Amino acid sequence: MKQKDLKDTLGDKIFYAIIEVFLVLVTLVILYPLYFVIIASISDPDAVLSGKVILYPVQITFSGYAKIMERQDVWRGYLNTIIYTALTVILSLVVTIPAGWALSRKTLLGRKTFMIYFIIPMFFGGGLIPFYNVMSSLRLNNTMWAVILPSILSVWNLFMTKAFFQSSINSSLIEAAKIDGAGQFRIFFSIVIPLSKAIIATMALYYGVGQWNSYFNAMIFLRDESMYPLQLVLKEILIATESTVGGSGETILEQYRLANQIKYISVIVSSLPILMLYPFVQKYFAQGIMIGSLKN
Amino acid sequence: MKKWIAILLSGVLVLSLVACGNSDKSDKKESAGVEKLVSEYGFQWTDTSAPILNEKGAKELTFRVYSSKNASALDYNDMKVMQDLYKMTNVNVVWENVSESVYSQQKNLIFGNSEDRPDAIYHAGMTTGEIIKYARRKVLLPISDYLEYMPNFSKILEERPDIKNQLINVEDGKIYSLPRIEEMGLLQHPNILFLNKNWAAKAIEAGAVNGLSVDDLKDGLALTCEQMEAMLRYFKENDMNGNGDVNDERPLSFVFNNWQGNQCDLYGMFGLNDNLEHRVVVNDQVIYTIQDERFKEATNFIARWVSEGLIDKVSFEQSQDNFLANGKGLEIYGAFYWWESETVVSNPENYIVCAPIIGPHGDQTVCVSNNPEVSTGELVIFADCPNVEVLLAYFDRYYDPFISAQINYGPIGIVYEEELDEKGMLVQKEIPEGMTADELRLQNAPLGIIYLSDYAWNNVVNMEPRAKLRLERLDAYVKPYVPEGVKPCPVNLQFTLEELNKLTKYESNLNDYIRTNLIRWLLNGGVSDSEWASFQDELKGKLNIESIRQVYQDAYDRYIKNDGRKLK
Amino acid sequence: MEATNRAPKESLLSRQKAFLRMTPESEKLRHLKENLPFMIMLFPAVLVVFLFSYLPIYGILIAFQDFVPGDKILSDTTIWVGFENFSRFFNDPQFWPLMKNTFLLCIYGFIIGFPLPIIMALMLNALKSRKMSKTLHTIFIAPHFISLVVLVGMLQLFFGRYGLVNNIAVSLGGERISYFLEASAFRPLYILSSNWQDFGWSSVIYIAALANVDHEQHEAAILDGATRFQRIIHVDLPAIMPMVSVMLIMSIGGLMGVGYEKALLMQTDGNLAVSELISTYVYKRGLTGVPDQAYATAIGSFNSLINLVLLIIANTMARKFSENSLW
Repeated sequence: MKQKDLKDTLGDKIFYAIIEVFLVLVTLVILYPLYFVIIASISDPDAVLSGKVILYPVQITFSGYAKIMERQDVWRGYLNTIIYTALTVILSLVVTIPAGWALSRKTLLGRKTFMIYFIIPMFFGGGLIPFYNVMSSLRLNNTMWAVILPSILSVWNLFMTKAFFQSSINSSLIEAAKIDGAGQFRIFFSIVIPLSKAIIATMALYYGVGQWNSYFNAMIFLRDESMYPLQLVLKEILIATESTVGGSGETILEQYRLANQIKYISVIVSSLPILMLYPFVQKYFAQGIMIGSLKN
Repeated sequence: MKKWIAILLSGVLVLSLVACGNSDKSDKKESAGVEKLVSEYGFQWTDTSAPILNEKGAKELTFRVYSSKNASALDYNDMKVMQDLYKMTNVNVVWENVSESVYSQQKNLIFGNSEDRPDAIYHAGMTTGEIIKYARRKVLLPISDYLEYMPNFSKILEERPDIKNQLINVEDGKIYSLPRIEEMGLLQHPNILFLNKNWAAKAIEAGAVNGLSVDDLKDGLALTCEQMEAMLRYFKENDMNGNGDVNDERPLSFVFNNWQGNQCDLYGMFGLNDNLEHRVVVNDQVIYTIQDERFKEATNFIARWVSEGLIDKVSFEQSQDNFLANGKGLEIYGAFYWWESETVVSNPENYIVCAPIIGPHGDQTVCVSNNPEVSTGELVIFADCPNVEVLLAYFDRYYDPFISAQINYGPIGIVYEEELDEKGMLVQKEIPEGMTADELRLQNAPLGIIYLSDYAWNNVVNMEPRAKLRLERLDAYVKPYVPEGVKPCPVNLQFTLEELNKLTKYESNLNDYIRTNLIRWLLNGGVSDSEWASFQDELKGKLNIESIRQVYQDAYDRYIKNDGRKLK
Repeated sequence: MEATNRAPKESLLSRQKAFLRMTPESEKLRHLKENLPFMIMLFPAVLVVFLFSYLPIYGILIAFQDFVPGDKILSDTTIWVGFENFSRFFNDPQFWPLMKNTFLLCIYGFIIGFPLPIIMALMLNALKSRKMSKTLHTIFIAPHFISLVVLVGMLQLFFGRYGLVNNIAVSLGGERISYFLEASAFRPLYILSSNWQDFGWSSVIYIAALANVDHEQHEAAILDGATRFQRIIHVDLPAIMPMVSVMLIMSIGGLMGVGYEKALLMQTDGNLAVSELISTYVYKRGLTGVPDQAYATAIGSFNSLINLVLLIIANTMARKFSENSLW
């Protein structure tokens, strides 16, 4: 990298300047709302709602954080989410990466059939009631597996993995290994996997965050509140409903106030752990340089 | 190709396995039969203060009741009211609590999973249409077949044929759900007009308003629309709150199409008793206000106030949270429609209650909303619930006024004192430190099926002070302006299946069409005659307003004709 | 099967000849031996899809029934209504508006939302400072974690009548506009906020693909005197092209598949005429008012059918013009 810098032409310099300026502008547009989330989370909710919070927090209060932190269900939700996410990531990688590799091989018997087999459910589903009844027949209702198992394979992710293998794994490398007499499993584990850290990291991230942010399956299949993931717990606090359970006008308003106060805090509480993990995932994106050396 | 067939075949195979597996596990408990219940478990239902079952029954019979609960409420199994009820009755109910948003998603699935349903759903929130559909498929228990086990509930039906009529909403003349009845008389008129007294005084002193003196500024003030307009214009053009900004005052505010504090009262200036559905009963005729020529005139009149900035356009976009948040701190509201002033502004003493505004032709009336005080689908019981007589006798206790009060506000011992006052009414306990009355209530009261009416308000439990205040205001400044013969169009009507299908097909499109046009007119200066004419044609043509109106008319006719009829 | 696929143009005769040259046993054996590991690798994925996607698929039959939850989908009590639910939708006055609203929202969203992550990934990858590139990317993915409720809440605050955007506009001499009541503002708000939220997230996959670009190619290009921009066009872009085309095909297949949640949150009476989408309509029909599951399912299946057709068209085109088709 370093030698190349010396050779920058004027055109290159202008080009770098343009993208740098552009990216800085984009960053500002991204950052302001994020900054707003932070200042809104420590401001008085009425001030936020009436548009008085713009550049700095108004009537700073940490009572929202205190309220969130003292709730047992939020902590339990955290723990549940961590367990669900970890299991989902492990299982989904086991399911997706080998399948993606197999699908990327031209020699795969019935490749087209498999592709179509995976594509159809992207478009046709039976709706919730049959899904629920199937889960109930599989005895998965009200277990954590109802949250985990249906999300360990996303066809989108599978096809992305397949495309990655097709474009990024040098086929001469595989041929060479074959000639050396390596079996398919050997090739997969000792050549493909080491070269695929970028896609494995990406998939772990996509599946992990997908599970981290999801609440729908939990909402449908779980009856036991102690199994709720974090997002569902937060959603319960956030969406105060005017429903049959009602109460007086004042009680409903009290709930709205709480919801408004916790709105922005919920973003911070639920996203901070993943954002802090992201740099570790990024490490695996700097793999490119390796390939050349491996080839020899 | 062979592979495809193989996949398909194996699919069918597993499918059928799943289907069979489902029908195999019918381990439902059998009903014991009333005789056996009486002899073995000491089942009794006539004495409503004695236990329903004996100790043996308490141990051996359990009921699974599924219920949504408020996010702040305790688990119902841990609620003192529920535990007290168990001690009183020996009926063991196991509550399966889910949150409200979870329930709205799971509701269909619970009904859909016919092999593993609970015995009953509390806070079921069933619409009339749903009850009709499920009743026809014999999924729900016809509760009215078991009235003999429900002395409290039977008494309500006898004394109140109007309530009974709202409950019989299936063609076969039976009742399939238990209601929540909370009659405070607050819901029918959801708006009250409040006016900033100090601002109004300034406007009058400045000579901006004709025919009004500062002394007139007290509760019950009736303004003509000219006076109101002049007042609002003065609010708009001057720095009323004295913060140096002439533009931050909002002369008249409301929350458009909100269930309370909405724009409907403004149509009263033209003699229309509008509401959010635009459907009201006048002299026993169901009418749509939107078809009335006066509606056009009123819309144009209001639209002018909007375009002149007398009604801030934010009224059409804000949620009630925004509306309420803006009321705090610096005063920016000149006049507003809301349920009560206390929740809106920091200094409610600065605002007076106004009578409805008098329109250009001298009309003076208000919104008549269709919000029902009887929610019919609050509790449903599944048809295959074993020993249902016991469960019904248990839920019947909820209609005892003392129990109702505790279900609604919280139990004796936490919210109420153990001792009654000299009139025999419940006495509010002191609220524990660090809690508001509402928090305490939400935590400890399940709410749900109750019967609280005049009798209860006079003999059992005091209405909350705020509710009382609102009632007084309504009685003095709102109800006198409702013309004779104008009534809400009840929501709880009995529809035939055919009628129901019509409503399903047409009604939401009609509502959407009205909503999109109305807001466009109000925001853009009004509606032209030609546009109004084509709007009317569309209503009658593609949108089938006539057949929808007829459905409501027929159902309403049956409803009033059947007063006092026998249950089938 | 594979053999026949690969040789569609060969005559029957030559195929028979080839068949005779090789004994069927050895051919089969070779194939099996090579494919058994692949089958084992595929098995978990096939099983998961079968259990959680194929088993419930029979629910589509609801679209042809008068269905109330709790009815048995296949039994003698089932009330079959044929295509009535479908024909009702085609005759619904909402049919064309729904199609149009969904299509326009999706096509505009696609035109902006598809290239953006690719461009951003290429730019981030081109930055000289790795550290800056990584930091910026971390910032860019952050909005992905904002839940829809909060996102729409923020939109309402920023674009409300007395919100930040209007305050700036007024101080510059403009008029206050209630963006949420203007039908014309719905699509821009929806699409821009979606892209704001997700472009960084969607670019992760491209950044991962770019990480595997062979460094030798860049070095060779530099020796040839290529500028950085030329290297993006001739080295980086071709390297992620297979990924791009797979994403393209699948996005086209999902073109009409916009979800209901965000549109529903953003809906007001003022923008209903453009914000009512197929998915929001299905949601309202299936879950609110007098729920009409069968009708909702029929509309949903019709929508899927459109998507499937779009996918097939996209894939056919891809096969014609490149090597990167899905099947």
